[in-house]
Amino acid sequence: MAAVRTADSRQQWEIIKKNFCIDGDFSQINDSGEDLQLVVRLVQQLGAGQLVLDLALDAIWLALRQSVVPKFWQHFVTFEAQTNGKEDDAGEGSVEVMSRVATAVSELYDSAGSFVPQINRCEMLCEQSGAKFEDCIPGGLMEHFKLHLRATLHSQMPSSFMHLLHKFYSAAFKVFYQAEVGSQVEESEEVTDEPVPCGGCGGATDACHCQAITNTFCQVNKQLYGLDLLERLAGDIISSLLLSVITDHVSTTCRDSYDQSCINQLEKWVENVVVGWLELVYCGSRGQLSSADAAIQTMVSNNLNQTYMTALYHTYTTTRIDQLFNIVIEYPESQPALEDIRECLDRTHLRDRLVESLRSAIQTRLLHPGVNTTDVLHAYISAIKALRVLDPKGVLLELVSEPVRQYLRGREDTVRYIVTSLTDESCSELSEELLVAAPLVLDDSHSDDDNMDNWETWTPDPVHAHNLKSKSQRTADIISMLVNIYGSKDVFITEYRTILADRILSQFSYDTEREIRYLEHLKVRFGETLALLHKCEVMVKDVADSKRINTSINSDENPHREKQKFPVSAMILSAQFWPSFKEERLQVPEEVTKELENYTEAFQDLKGNRTLNWKPHLGQVQLEIELKNRTLNLTVTPTQATIIYHFQERNRWSIDDLSTMTQVPKTVLRRKITYWQTQGVLQEVESDVFVLVEGEETGEEGQTAAAGLPLADIAPPAIEEDEAESVMASAQDQREEELQVLWSYIVGMLTNLDCLPLERIHAMLKMFVQGSVECSPQELRAFLDRKVRQHQLLLTNGLYKLPKN
Amino acid sequence: MAQNIAPGNSTTASPSKGNSDKAIAGRDSHSVSKRLQHELMTLMMAANKGISAFPDGDNLFKWIGTITGPASTVYEGLSYKLSLEFPCSYPYSAPTVKFVTPCFHPNVDRHGNICLDILKEKWSASYDVRSILLSIQSLLGEPNNDSPLNGHAAELWANQVAYKKHLVEQYKKNNVDEK
Repeated sequence: MAAVRTADSRQQWEIIKKNFCIDGDFSQINDSGEDLQLVVRLVQQLGAGQLVLDLALDAIWLALRQSVVPKFWQHFVTFEAQTNGKEDDAGEGSVEVMSRVATAVSELYDSAGSFVPQINRCEMLCEQSGAKFEDCIPGGLMEHFKLHLRATLHSQMPSSFMHLLHKFYSAAFKVFYQAEVGSQVEESEEVTDEPVPCGGCGGATDACHCQAITNTFCQVNKQLYGLDLLERLAGDIISSLLLSVITDHVSTTCRDSYDQSCINQLEKWVENVVVGWLELVYCGSRGQLSSADAAIQTMVSNNLNQTYMTALYHTYTTTRIDQLFNIVIEYPESQPALEDIRECLDRTHLRDRLVESLRSAIQTRLLHPGVNTTDVLHAYISAIKALRVLDPKGVLLELVSEPVRQYLRGREDTVRYIVTSLTDESCSELSEELLVAAPLVLDDSHSDDDNMDNWETWTPDPVHAHNLKSKSQRTADIISMLVNIYGSKDVFITEYRTILADRILSQFSYDTEREIRYLEHLKVRFGETLALLHKCEVMVKDVADSKRINTSINSDENPHREKQKFPVSAMILSAQFWPSFKEERLQVPEEVTKELENYTEAFQDLKGNRTLNWKPHLGQVQLEIELKNRTLNLTVTPTQATIIYHFQERNRWSIDDLSTMTQVPKTVLRRKITYWQTQGVLQEVESDVFVLVEGEETGEEGQTAAAGLPLADIAPPAIEEDEAESVMASAQDQREEELQVLWSYIVGMLTNLDCLPLERIHAMLKMFVQGSVECSPQELRAFLDRKVRQHQLLLTNGLYKLPKN
Repeated sequence: MAQNIAPGNSTTASPSKGNSDKAIAGRDSHSVSKRLQHELMTLMMAANKGISAFPDGDNLFKWIGTITGPASTVYEGLSYKLSLEFPCSYPYSAPTVKFVTPCFHPNVDRHGNICLDILKEKWSASYDVRSILLSIQSLLGEPNNDSPLNGHAAELWANQVAYKKHLVEQYKKNNVDEK
């Protein structure tokens, strides 16, 4: 009985084993449904549902682990071994890869497919016997099987596989990309019957296997998708290919052209390429997306928006950020690019990077001694305009331009350049700005902080604006920004006054129409009430008055006029209102002095209780020099005229004698004489001795004159430099004078109050010094420190005091 | 006439009068500080040797002055600090000027009070800090021995050598005391 039972159960076991392939032999499955029904019933009778299921599944897993997966990987390992050492030939290699991958995948697909009946059986068993497989995973047994397959595949993946798969996909992508994007280009190229290599597969045009590649590719994708392996194995590669092609495309599109907006075009391009490629991968061919699964559709559109568009913006912005310095410099041609960047900045988090990068670009390319101040200023102006486009609130500008402003503050000629270009018609950029009639917005004005009129359109500042200046300041116009480099109007107007004085005195013309026009503009900009501008007005008025007085004095009714040897006209300046002149000494010839005195007398007659105080070194002299065989008509400076005047009496002078005669220092004298040397009138015969050259070709003298000529070729630069020299004391000299005033106060203070700290001195100066001598504590400290170095002051324990005697 | 004025008017009139008084006083003090500020400027810019003065702290009405003894007198090489206090009615009344550094002099008493006519009855609004300081400086060399505040000094003045010896001793003693 027991033996029968044993034999019986053995037989039953055999049947079960055979039907569920527990021994791992999957080759002889027969699909006789009746048999299966019986077997299942048998298993149920025995109550061994769970056991059988476990055994059956174990057998499947074992088969996967030990045969299917290793076989699949074997394809790649051997391929790798074969190709190793061979040159990576793009064309042939890719074909081989294609076929290899295709074979491997279809084999895998087949062998995986052979498990399907078995899986179905097991599923039936589950249903009928109530046996359970590990049920932590949603989905049926089929899903469970796929999961196992994936896990097994990953656990045994050889390292070279990713590389190969990458090759496979990039080959396919190249074909796709060529078809998608290159088609327009190809049409024109195909006219030449040359065997051009196909852009897609790299083979000759007549032997193009693009189609083959696409077909294989589609098949592989389909099989992988069927096994749920596509996303797992190739998802990364699929998207990384897209991302890299986006990067490439963006950087080629954006290279060095800033005058076209390309973000919309790029968006379209990305959409086209991404959707096309994903369609190809997931649906097998183009234009199939609408008919594909809803899951695929959402996946594609999500990917498009989240991954690829973001990638596009990111790449675009990064590329542009690297070019931003050039873009800024090329403003306004680069306006379209800037608008693109503005749009992209809102969708990325690259603001900080932009600021950082532009700042460092400016630092390395702009703010070094090799760059002219004008160029720095132009760049600054461009930056103001360009960054306003990027960020109308001016926060970016504030962040980026701070170093530029600091740097400009350190350059001595900045103010001069700004003021010159403001009032220079040839430099339209700024002088046009000046015409915009808007009052200046300065640091200290907080007028619109409480502006409630437009409360409905109020927008808060960006979060990173917290430590910046007031809003009004950031949105100020360009001239305000420039003036704010120094933070005070006075410096500018002082400089303007100097330049104005310079222009009036160097041109020596009575035409002031232009100056009046600029002055009016400046008044609108800087405010009427500014005392310094009032001074400028007086200066211009002086010119007009001088013109009138001159006409009157030189008119026929003037009794002095009879005796006149030469006409004199004067520019009569109200000393109080003009900036201080550079003092130079000059003793003009007696003849001239007499004429000037005559003029003074005439002036006194005209003006009652006023007199004139001459500045003999300023002005112009029109000379006619008659030499032996030539006559020179020249307009020169008084010093130059005085020099040549003395050669009338004696044609040989030493520098020393001439210096005593004219009271001009020898170094200055020498410089001025160069002018006459270039004119060929004077010649240095021995060191420091000059003679008059009468003629050019007569006798021995003529030869020396000819010898003198080469000198003329050398000298001109010196002359030009001389000519360009300003007659006015520079703004710095004037500042020095103001500081001198402060110094006398400081001396008074310290004489009586012994010793004081810096803050106290500053406060006292502020309190007691009349007029508008401004001095920041920093400047005062620098000034006092200088005095300490000059031993005019002692500094002990933070207290300044005067040295004893 | 007075009874014709409505009582209400008279009561309202008096506060407004008070206000205008205050306003005048305010303007006055303003003009005084303006004048003092101007004097300070002239003094600073003139840079006279041997005299100097500067407001003491924030108060424009209280100055510290310094004078050094005039050359070729017994006071040569010595320097004295003074205090100047300006009344609100300045320059119509004289400032109070005193020596802060004790000064051995016929016309200066032990408390530093100075007997100088232009600081008393001969004061005129045309004087300023500079002229006061210059007067005091010259007073050092030319004392008025007829009305001395310091009898000992006046007696000793005749003997310049003894005077100088005493003066320097006193000066040194005071300076040592200060330190």
